[in-house]
Amino acid sequence: MQVHIQTLIGGLSLGAIYALVALGFSLVYRTMGLVNFAHGQVVMIGAFTASTFYMTTRLPFWLAIVTACLVTGLLGLVIERVLRPLEGRDFDLMLIGTIGFGVMLEALAVIIWGATGRAVPSPITTQPLDIGGIRIRTYSLVVLAVAAAATIALVLFLQRTRLGAAMQAVAMDPEAATAVGIHVGRSNAIAFAIGAGLAALAGGLAGPLLYVNATLGGTIGIKGFAAAILGGFGNVQGAILGGLGIGILDAFAAGQFEGYSELVVFVVFAVLIMIVPTGIFGERTVNRA
Amino acid sequence: MAVPVLVVLALAACGKPGADEGTTSSGDGPIRFAIADAQSGQLSSLGAWELKGAKLAVEEFNAAGGVDGRTVELTVFDTQGDPTTGTSIAQKVSSGGFTAMLGTAESAVTQAMNPILRQARIPSITSGQSPAIAALGSPFQFYNGPTSVTYDETLAEHLVDDQGFKTFAMVTNNGGYGAGEHDAFLAALKDRGITPTDDKVVTVDQKDFSSILTSIRSKKPDVLFIGAEEVEAGLIAKQARELGVESVFAGAAPLATPVYIETAGEKNAEGTIVSTPYLSNEETDASKAFAEAYQKAYGEEAEMHGAKAYDGAQIFLAALKSTGGEGGQKLADAIRATQHQGLLGDFTYDEQGVGIHQTKIGEITAGQLTAVS
Repeated sequence: MQVHIQTLIGGLSLGAIYALVALGFSLVYRTMGLVNFAHGQVVMIGAFTASTFYMTTRLPFWLAIVTACLVTGLLGLVIERVLRPLEGRDFDLMLIGTIGFGVMLEALAVIIWGATGRAVPSPITTQPLDIGGIRIRTYSLVVLAVAAAATIALVLFLQRTRLGAAMQAVAMDPEAATAVGIHVGRSNAIAFAIGAGLAALAGGLAGPLLYVNATLGGTIGIKGFAAAILGGFGNVQGAILGGLGIGILDAFAAGQFEGYSELVVFVVFAVLIMIVPTGIFGERTVNRA
Repeated sequence: MAVPVLVVLALAACGKPGADEGTTSSGDGPIRFAIADAQSGQLSSLGAWELKGAKLAVEEFNAAGGVDGRTVELTVFDTQGDPTTGTSIAQKVSSGGFTAMLGTAESAVTQAMNPILRQARIPSITSGQSPAIAALGSPFQFYNGPTSVTYDETLAEHLVDDQGFKTFAMVTNNGGYGAGEHDAFLAALKDRGITPTDDKVVTVDQKDFSSILTSIRSKKPDVLFIGAEEVEAGLIAKQARELGVESVFAGAAPLATPVYIETAGEKNAEGTIVSTPYLSNEETDASKAFAEAYQKAYGEEAEMHGAKAYDGAQIFLAALKSTGGEGGQKLADAIRATQHQGLLGDFTYDEQGVGIHQTKIGEITAGQLTAVS
């Protein structure tokens, strides 16, 4: 039993990272109907940027992450601006464009930070909590709390602010939104910027749990993408559930199937998607393809 | 008109793999060596160190006059630590007029590239240590360090015979390196009548080890053997301590690297016991000179992988000199006949291409690897 609970806790902490990655995927998809395949690489850029501000310029960890969110937010704006001329014209080219951005970002990271990567020290040095032999890393609790806070903030933004409502309107019917004076391009740009900011949050938080290098985006990105699909692509709450679900599935598969765990995770994922093709929350807000 | 001429020239230059019995380096131009290693990806730290070590040896060789005035030219290929990318690079190396290949540092990539290089009769020297590489039986394949069998036999001898540890748990990954470590250490334990309390296999991309480490913690083994590359080994050690595993960590070369210590955290890596052929830059006059040259060239401290690649390149270059610049079978025979006093020890090659047959035991103390007396 102790093994199962400990496995669950391990799965939750990485699952929270996957959830944040899935949130970024979902937000852009929800607004533009576009899967941003560069999102994993933006996570990696965020992780490198946060680690640089934290380890090199000695900013406090949380301030380093906020700074990284701003940097990647700007990066998101650049990606959207480059893709904007294709909006409504060539959707496939937009998708390929995001893949191209991903490749460029990985190459850029190697040029700036080198290929070796870096280990990021944890900002919380307190000993893990020991509850009846179950060890809980304090930092994991922080990651879970931040993921929850980011979700709440995003839901409130989308549902309670005029800008959020405008983005929802663009998601539902861009032509009608344009007719009532909503700037679709600006709405998409904000979605990209927030998505990229969430990516930096995920990457920055993942640093002390993992190891930051140029391929980090591929590893986390594919799980985050799977999480977004599992939760229901485009659904904010679904992204969180999907992320935690993939994290837990990953952790238990590792314990039970050891060297075959990756295979098992994606077989289970494929079966789940065959049973519920639109994911847990079954939402397909946008389809502009 | 120019295009068909160029095509004919290119085809003539490439030649058919395996068609050349002796040399790919005739003429007066530079002699071309390929260096294939991960220059990007999770294993790129190995590739970066390997490149630096090999470059240093080649630069010194060229400065000393090369082979009758002909210099050796290095071309770098990025395997990304991926066997599929490795096979594609092996095709380029086999058809690109290269005399020899240095690398790779990853056993699985070396295994993938081996048949293509063997067919093209291009000698290569790997920093991988899986016995599976020797089992492929290529007369053109050499190691520039010991195999996992040597590493782990020495380690087991120290841990069981000398230190008296009785209970062991194992975590290895399912990559080429990890599989070799698994078989070698398990065999060394079984020879001593020990069955591990846990024998867990993880994937090479795994990030969370809670499940297996909790199981290991409940058995309280004296030693946790970690058979994975630098970053993964560091993550396992870090999570093991966070989850309350108090066992001594032990393993082979990856656990002697700064990447392992940084990833695990200095406190968590403390006391890790390592089997390695290269303990420190201060060990001998040769290692001091190497470290000094490395520092001068790259502005950083030398470590084992750079030393391994330096040794490997020196062996290849000495053999190349003895063949007068010829590659192929002659170069392979010359390498096999080489006896070289290197940084990792005295190289004497056997039929399997293994040149080093012993390692030393070190321990990580305050973030540094120190010799265990």
